Amino acid sequence: MKKYFILLFISIIFLNNGGFAQDNVELVAQCAGSAGNVTYLKDFVVKLDPGIPGGNPPSAKFSMVLSKNTQYRFSICTAPDSEGEAILQLFDMNVLQGSTYISATGKEFPSFDFKCQKTGVYHVFISFKEGKAGEAVGILSFVKKL
Amino acid sequence: MLHLFKPQQQIQRAMIKRLIVLLFVSLLIFGCKSGGEKKTGDEFAVPEDVVNEGVLEISEEVMQDIIQNISSPVEMAALVKSLNADFSNQYLAPTENVDELTTSFQQALQLGVYAADLGYLNIYNKTNSVLEYITAIKTLADAVRVGQFFDFTTLKRLAQSNQNLDSLMYISVHSFNQMDKYLRTDKRSDLSTLMVTGVWIEGLYLATQVAKADPHPELAERIGEQKIIMADLMLILDNYKSDKQFAKLIKELNILKEEFNDVTITIQKGEPEAIEEEGMLVIVQNDVSIVNISDERLKSIIAKTEDIRNKLISI
Repeated sequence: MKKYFILLFISIIFLNNGGFAQDNVELVAQCAGSAGNVTYLKDFVVKLDPGIPGGNPPSAKFSMVLSKNTQYRFSICTAPDSEGEAILQLFDMNVLQGSTYISATGKEFPSFDFKCQKTGVYHVFISFKEGKAGEAVGILSFVKKL
Repeated sequence: MLHLFKPQQQIQRAMIKRLIVLLFVSLLIFGCKSGGEKKTGDEFAVPEDVVNEGVLEISEEVMQDIIQNISSPVEMAALVKSLNADFSNQYLAPTENVDELTTSFQQALQLGVYAADLGYLNIYNKTNSVLEYITAIKTLADAVRVGQFFDFTTLKRLAQSNQNLDSLMYISVHSFNQMDKYLRTDKRSDLSTLMVTGVWIEGLYLATQVAKADPHPELAERIGEQKIIMADLMLILDNYKSDKQFAKLIKELNILKEEFNDVTITIQKGEPEAIEEEGMLVIVQNDVSIVNISDERLKSIIAKTEDIRNKLISI
């Protein structure tokens, strides 16, 4: 009898994961919609565990090619039931280009625009404040040619 | 009474077991359906020559890092439109032979080509032709078992109503991203690579054809910059060189890569600055890339791109 309940438990987990995937699709659509009058290009779905106390906050990395003379928008949306609040940072090699959170001032932005002047590979890092666990969606949109 | 009770208990237990098994099977069936579309791939077999049995030279993780957004189905079209280039049906790949594509290699490559064409149509709001391309994409997506991520019904409705063009664009690009993501997580990066290659070559074909018809310095610069993207693309493709079809594709693309050898790209360094425009945080990059490409070189790249792209879409 016990093995049948284990099977039932596994299948419920399986179904729940499907539900989580569905939530992601909705959050991506909502986040892309809230980015404004821009063209959606890419999404970055993130689910992170909490970090170790005293260590660096866990982060997810995504690489992409951005083109010269193009204005892009990077948006971040934290999932409603997420423990931590998400931060999106854009790097060119190791140089920080932009962030949705300015730690020096504590200012937060749901999105920022990036006027790209150099075609190449860039990296987006998504993490959660204070290394908390969390779920979020980042969106890359095309704004206009410069 | 005791004799009667025991079998009844056994029957109840057996019924509960059956119910649990039935529930388990049902949950698995419903859990597997991610897009509400019927999975068509049970009978599908990836041809032997596409299955990569050798060890990849770079890991799946590194591959995924490189593949992500190597080329977008809409950006090149957006550039062309921003230069006020007229729309032309002649730049599109024909769809009538889609059913004759029989290997997953051909199907994935062509899927990328059509995705770029769909991006071009959407950017120019040419909804009349969209239906033809979403039908072709749906056929190929089902063939490579990613059809569940392509929302054909909604796209068809949006294209026919000629309304909500933003939604049409969003669903088109999102569906492509979902298909690409799924292929990579499903350890079918070879097909994802082919899709991305298809998008890239069709985007380059569009840019070069527009440059051929109406030369523009910015377009020439964007074409020259493809040298950077092509280097990454070749790195990924090289992982599959043991496969005959990939080897043939790599050989063709290497000829194109050589055309870019004397294109030079220099970088002027600068610090990024943050400004505020209409309440929005805007980061202005002050690193600037400068591309040098001669007219002769541009012409040879245009010719070679046309040659390779036409070979790829011919069955």
